[in-house]
Amino acid sequence: MKGNILVVDDEQIVLKSCERILSPEGYGVDTATSAKEALSLLDRNFYDLVITDIKMPEMDGIEFMKQAREKNPDINIIVITGYPSQESIKEALRLRIIDYLPKPFSPTHLLEVTGNAIDLKKRGVTPEPQVEVYTEEVSAKLDAVINKYKHKPGSLIPVLQEAQELVGYLPPVVQRHIAGGLKIPVSEVHGVVSFYSFFTMKPKGKHNIRVCLGTACYVKGAEEIVKKFSDGLKLDVGGITSDKKFSLETVRCLGACGLAPVVVIDKDTHGSINPVKTLDLLKEFE
Amino acid sequence: MEKYRTSVMLCGGTGCIAGGSLKVKNALIDELRNRGLENEINVVVTGCNGFCAQGPVMTVYPEDIFYEKVTVSDVPVIIEEHFIKGRPVERLLYKEPVKKQTIPLMRDIPFFNLQVLRALRNKGLIDAEKIDEYIARDGYQAAAKALTEMTPEQVIDELKRSGLRGRGGAGFPTGMKWELCSRVKGDRKYILCNGDEGDPGAFMDRSIMEADPHVVLEGMIIGAKAIGADKGYIYVRAEYPLAVHRLQLAINQAKEYGLLGENILGTGFNLDIEIYLGAGAFVCGEETALMRSIEGKRGMPRPRPPFPAQKGLWDKPSVLNNVETYANIPQIILNGADWYRSLGTEKSTGTKVFALTGAINNVGLIEVPMGIPLRKIIYDIGGGISKNRKFKAVQLGGPSGGCIPEYLLDTPVTYEDIVQTGAIVGSGGMVVMNDLNCMVSVAKFFLEFTTDESCGKCPPCRIGTTVMLDILTNITEGRGKEEYIELLQDISQDIIATSLCGLGQTAPNPVLTTIKYFRDEYESHINEKWCKTGVCKELCTFYVDEEKCKACGACKRVCPQNAVSGEKKVPHRIDQSKCIQCRSCYEACKFDSIKIGPRSLRERLMETTDQEALKEIYTAAIAAKEE
Repeated sequence: MKGNILVVDDEQIVLKSCERILSPEGYGVDTATSAKEALSLLDRNFYDLVITDIKMPEMDGIEFMKQAREKNPDINIIVITGYPSQESIKEALRLRIIDYLPKPFSPTHLLEVTGNAIDLKKRGVTPEPQVEVYTEEVSAKLDAVINKYKHKPGSLIPVLQEAQELVGYLPPVVQRHIAGGLKIPVSEVHGVVSFYSFFTMKPKGKHNIRVCLGTACYVKGAEEIVKKFSDGLKLDVGGITSDKKFSLETVRCLGACGLAPVVVIDKDTHGSINPVKTLDLLKEFE
Repeated sequence: MEKYRTSVMLCGGTGCIAGGSLKVKNALIDELRNRGLENEINVVVTGCNGFCAQGPVMTVYPEDIFYEKVTVSDVPVIIEEHFIKGRPVERLLYKEPVKKQTIPLMRDIPFFNLQVLRALRNKGLIDAEKIDEYIARDGYQAAAKALTEMTPEQVIDELKRSGLRGRGGAGFPTGMKWELCSRVKGDRKYILCNGDEGDPGAFMDRSIMEADPHVVLEGMIIGAKAIGADKGYIYVRAEYPLAVHRLQLAINQAKEYGLLGENILGTGFNLDIEIYLGAGAFVCGEETALMRSIEGKRGMPRPRPPFPAQKGLWDKPSVLNNVETYANIPQIILNGADWYRSLGTEKSTGTKVFALTGAINNVGLIEVPMGIPLRKIIYDIGGGISKNRKFKAVQLGGPSGGCIPEYLLDTPVTYEDIVQTGAIVGSGGMVVMNDLNCMVSVAKFFLEFTTDESCGKCPPCRIGTTVMLDILTNITEGRGKEEYIELLQDISQDIIATSLCGLGQTAPNPVLTTIKYFRDEYESHINEKWCKTGVCKELCTFYVDEEKCKACGACKRVCPQNAVSGEKKVPHRIDQSKCIQCRSCYEACKFDSIKIGPRSLRERLMETTDQEALKEIYTAAIAAKEE
């Protein structure tokens, strides 16, 4: 089988035609005439893809997607609608849909969109993960930062620095927000984020460990220290432990060469570390 | 101002703060208050004193007593013994590492007394957060002189005659740079300061910004006057929070005193200076890239001409100088070009600040006259190689520089002489390496750096450094081929000739100099699969010379794998199947009985179980080594 699909629509005719088009192509298709029914199906079965209408009685598609996301944050969703209003599309985009089908659609179009979505899923592409720290409060604060710099030339880097301070890191949703606020292309924002080592697109742990890899630290065994941390905490450089307690990164040079080798945990600088005893530094966090 | 009988200058540089100097400060203040001495003894937190290895350090005036490694528990003793009874605390005084001699006075310590402080003249003497202390040391007098008594031409002329060259690395004459920009007509010009100290192993600029932020501002004011700029930016790394904090304080105070802003000192001259935080990209040390970065874009260099003096930041004429360059300027204006030229050589005048680090006793920040031989820096000021190991090389100029071997240590430190060796003076990082360092790995370390930091704009740098790194990785992991050395040299020449900016043009230097001076190491890595320093794990075997082994157990204790066996009085032996080549035993052994053999030895040892045969292999290996 190519994949399991759940189709949700209040019109039987849509459900029937979807089933008729998709089943012969080797997809497993379940249908639901209401959001409520669909949610209970989601509880019982595993689906690779959900295709849903937006305008439905009782619970509409938007609310359904929100609840479906709560059950399975990584599920891929395609939206069908005959009333593509600006608002509903915006809302759907915010819920990270993977594609969009305007009514009426042709069988070839449906097959193409479905095929692409299943293909993406197989390649491990899931919708952008929900960013817990990106709350409405944070979003409002971001706007304040953007407004503070908006009219200054060259404001992108300072805005990104403050945004990272605020959110902890710069996930795509934050980059899009900033691009929108400063009225510049997202590509330009991403270009700057990926260029400078100060910016990170990965979240940091409760305690962030930075190992200096400057020359003075290097000649005194900094590489060994990195290895001790990554083996001891079972994470790679740039990674975060599964309990989100520690993250590990390396830095170019902290300019504290007199103390080499140097490790900075959160804001505390630890100098003259014996590589063999690296993990002792973590004792105070136990 | 209050009058105190004693002043305690406690170092508040990043190094000493990490060592706990702020806790010492609080303890001092509390204890002095408890004893009612707060009006007699003054505690000042200064910027970096320079002697970072011994931190936290403090100096007590008027005696000039220097204390090192001071902790909170030492505070009551210092107050009781020294401040009350007048007897300096012996055990906290500096001990000379070679002769184990105690030296109580700062001015007698070789680390300090061989230096000449110009750019660092206020280090350890003033509270960096108070403008009054800077002014009390003749601060802003040069700016006043330039603004009220001198024309831009006179300022430029003085600088040109002083021979001051850019301290950021390239050594371009500062006066000439200013002259170029001053001649360009423009409605707006920018004066920029490069505090994006990116070289690993260098912290000169950080120390100046932390210890004496006003001198940077003063240098920029003079520069602004010379070129006719009314707006300045200081580009500082975000990794230097203390420097940023102190610079911002300094700017605020200078504005309050009417030394920055509009109508400075009533002369009608305006200058506004802002701090711009860098976001971590080595290439932003290149001037056109730095300007792109201030514009909020990816910091990628562009071809020159047009030079920044004509079209720089936002396409306006701009001058960019390094922090240390600015720190030299006020003194030149005040004392004149001839005074400045009195030190150094004909073409490399004045002094240069270096960050002396690595395998050396006195790690720290130093300022020396140009022309001083490297040997004097390393052995007299630096106190020689730490832990009684042997000197192998000194690395100058970071990823753009090179490694200088023992036999060239009498080379005078000038721009011209250092270039002759294949290294560069650079921004001032000076990393000393000992016999435990593998030079092929060092070259690889720098190539990893440049590969990572290449901005990717021009292919020679982006692809060339990657290919070189691949070759070096192959060599260090045992896949080296004979033709690789020549190949590395060929690629290097192409990268140097065709790269767009200084990053690519100098990236091959560490490889070229290590091949030039340590070719035998490359050859043994490639031909014998043998890293004689034991750094390249795939290319070595650790074993015990059983004749020399005193069975002291030192190696057994440090081995993380429990690979060393042997009772007391029985020579120890390393179990090759357990050994992970961490080199701990080698460093722990005091009798030179741990040996490093080629990788092939390991396989032979692992195959052999017969005791007699094993002994034979050991004997043969040691004999081969001694040849």
